[in-house]
Amino acid sequence: MFDSPAADPALPNRFAPVRAAAPLVRFFARRIGLSVLTLLGLVTLAFAMTKFIPGDEAQVAAGPDAGPDQVEAMRARLGLDAPAIVQYLRFIWRLLHGDLGTSIVTYQPVLRDLERVLPSTLELVAITMVLNLVIAIPVATIAAAQGGRGLDALTRIAAAIAAGLPVFWVALMLQFLLGTLARVLPISGQRGFGVTVPNWTGMRTLDALLSGNPSAFLDASLYLVLPAATLALHFSSQLFRALRASLELAAASDFIAPVKAKGASTARILWRHALPNALPPVITLAGTQIADMLGAAVLVEAVFARQGVGAYLANAVAQKDTFAVIGTVLFVGAMVCVVNLLVDAILLATDPRLRAAELARGGRQ
Amino acid sequence: MKPLLEVRALTIDVPKGEGWMRVVDGVDFSIGAGERVALVGESGSGKSMTARALMRLDDALRIGGAIRFAGEEVLGCTEAEMRALRGSGIGMVFQDPMASLDPFMRVGDQVAEVLRIRGVGRAEAHARAVAILAELGVRDAASRSGAYPHEFSGGMRQRVVLAMALVAGPKLLVADEPTTALDARIQQQVLDLIDDAAADRGLGVLLITHNLGIVAGFADRVLVMYSGRIVEEGPVEQIFAAPAHPYTRGLIAAVPRADMRVDRLPPIDGAPPSPARRPSGCAFHPRCPVRLPVCVMTAPQLRPSGGGSVACHLAAAEEAMA
Repeated sequence: MFDSPAADPALPNRFAPVRAAAPLVRFFARRIGLSVLTLLGLVTLAFAMTKFIPGDEAQVAAGPDAGPDQVEAMRARLGLDAPAIVQYLRFIWRLLHGDLGTSIVTYQPVLRDLERVLPSTLELVAITMVLNLVIAIPVATIAAAQGGRGLDALTRIAAAIAAGLPVFWVALMLQFLLGTLARVLPISGQRGFGVTVPNWTGMRTLDALLSGNPSAFLDASLYLVLPAATLALHFSSQLFRALRASLELAAASDFIAPVKAKGASTARILWRHALPNALPPVITLAGTQIADMLGAAVLVEAVFARQGVGAYLANAVAQKDTFAVIGTVLFVGAMVCVVNLLVDAILLATDPRLRAAELARGGRQ
Repeated sequence: MKPLLEVRALTIDVPKGEGWMRVVDGVDFSIGAGERVALVGESGSGKSMTARALMRLDDALRIGGAIRFAGEEVLGCTEAEMRALRGSGIGMVFQDPMASLDPFMRVGDQVAEVLRIRGVGRAEAHARAVAILAELGVRDAASRSGAYPHEFSGGMRQRVVLAMALVAGPKLLVADEPTTALDARIQQQVLDLIDDAAADRGLGVLLITHNLGIVAGFADRVLVMYSGRIVEEGPVEQIFAAPAHPYTRGLIAAVPRADMRVDRLPPIDGAPPSPARRPSGCAFHPRCPVRLPVCVMTAPQLRPSGGGSVACHLAAAEEAMA
C-alpha cells in the first residue's frame, strides 16, 4: 500500500505514470495466474469426460483384429490398467514437462498433430475476426448516422435475419450458389492442384506472402473466401447489433449536446465521440466471439473439407483418442485465455476511467 | 443600434404521443452587446428549453417565432450555418460539468476541438486551448490538458466547459444553470470566473438559473419565467427592490439573506404546473396568494411597469389606480 495521489481525482497526478507500472503488472500477473488455473480445471474436466465416453482405448489402439491377449498387452503398455487417478496424475506430470501424450490413432505426439492442424483453423478464425470488425464497426456507425431511416432500418432487418441463419446452412448455400452454380470460387479444400508453399507458419496465406509467391497467396485466399464469409456473416451481424445498440446509448449521453454546441458535425459527433464511448462492451463481445468462432469453425471446416482442428477433434472424440482430445481442448482453451487477456489490455489502453479504477485498486491492495 | 440577440414570440413544442406539447409559449426578450441577462424560473418553466433553442441543439423540437442573432435569423439558418454559429457566435456552458465532457477524450483536445473544427492547425489549437485553460485558473494547464475529465473535480471540469464555450471567441455566452451541480463553495468561484471572462471579452451573457441569489451581483436585467411565459422583466435593482409579480415576490422571499434571521424560508405553496395541464387564465393563479377573479379567466399580457414590464392583473389594476 502506498500513498497514491491517484486516490484523489481532483489533485494533479504527475507522478502516476511512474508508479502506475506496479499495479498494471500485478493486474496482468493475477489474470495470467487465473488463466493457468482455468486451463488446469479445463484439462481435468476433459480428462474425466474422456473416461465417461463409451469404448475401449486399448481396443482402438490394438486394432480391430486384435485378440484379447493383445488388447490386454496394449492396455498395460499404455498404462490404462492403472486406476484413473494414477493415470490422471501421470498425465499432469507429463504435461508439466511439455508432453501432451501420443495419439493412439496417428501414433504421433499430440503436440506434433496440433502443429499440423491448428494453423489452418487459426488462419480461418483470424480472417473471420478481421472481416467481422471491418464490416460491423463502419456499418453500425454509418447506420447510426441515419437515425432509424433508410440504411439504418435496412441493416437492422438484414442483421436480424443473418444472425438467425444457421451457420452450416449458410455454408451449404454459399457453396452451392457461388461454388457450384456460379463457379467463381473453390468449394472445398484449401489449395489448388500443384500449388506449393514452404510450411513455415502452417498458415498458407502467410507462408505464401513470406515466400514472395503472390499467385499462391491468391490461391490460398480464394479457398478462404467462402468459409470466412460464412463465419463473418454470422458473427458480424451479431457484433453489428451490439454496436448499434451501444451507439444509441452513447449518442443519448449528456456530453453529446456540448459537443454539438461546439459546432461539430453529425459525422464528427458519431465517429469521434459516440463511437469511442460505444466500443468497450463491443470489444468484450468480440473477445467472447473468438471462442464461438472456434466452435463454428468445426462445422464450417467440415462443409468446406478443410484440414483443421475441427476434423481432428471430431475424429479424436469418435476414436476415444484421449490425449488428442485433451490436447485440443487445452490449446483452444489457452487461445480463449490469451484473447481474454488481450481484451483486458485493449480495454485498459482505451478507457481512461477503467485504467484509473484499476490503478487505484492496485494501489490499495 | 440593433441588439445582439432578439427573440420574438418564441414558441417551443415537444413531441408528445401523436401531437405536440407547447412548453414555451410566446417569449420575447433581447440582449444587447455586453449585456447580462438572467432568465429565472423553477424547473419545468421552459428556461433551459429556451436556452437550447437559441443554438437549436435539439432536433426533435418544433421551434416557432423569431430568433435574430447579430442580424441573422437563426431559425432560417442551414445546418452548415448553424455549425458555424455554434461555438463562434454563441458559446454555451451546461448544467452538469460531471456529464458534459467526453470521458474518452483528453480535456485539452476537447477544448482544442472547437478550433480544429474551424480549420485551425493542431499545434496552434492546442496552444490556444492551454492558454485559455490557464486563463480560467487551471493550474499547470500545459500538463493538465493531457488529463482526462475523470481526473478533474467538478469545479475544474466546469472551467474546462467554460473554456470550450469561450475559446472560439463567441459574442454571446449562454450559461444554463452553470453552478447548480457544484458545491456551494465552488459556485461563487465559477460565477466570478464567468463574470471576469465575460467582462474581459465584452460578452453578452444569458444566465439561466432557478436561484435568484446568484443573480443580484451578476446580471443587469432579469427575466422571470413561469410555465412557458415571461411574467416579469426589468432591471435587476427594480426586480429585487420592487418586484411587481406575486411569483417574483415569492421567489425573492425564498432567497436566504445574511441580514435576516428566520427559522424557515417561506416557500411558494404548490408546485409548478406541467405544460400538459396548464391552468386557465394566469398560469400562476392556483398558487397565487393575491388572486383576483379575473386571473382564473384570462391570461394577463406583459405590459410596461416602472423600468420593466409585468404580466399581472393585480399589478395592472394597482397601476391604473395610482
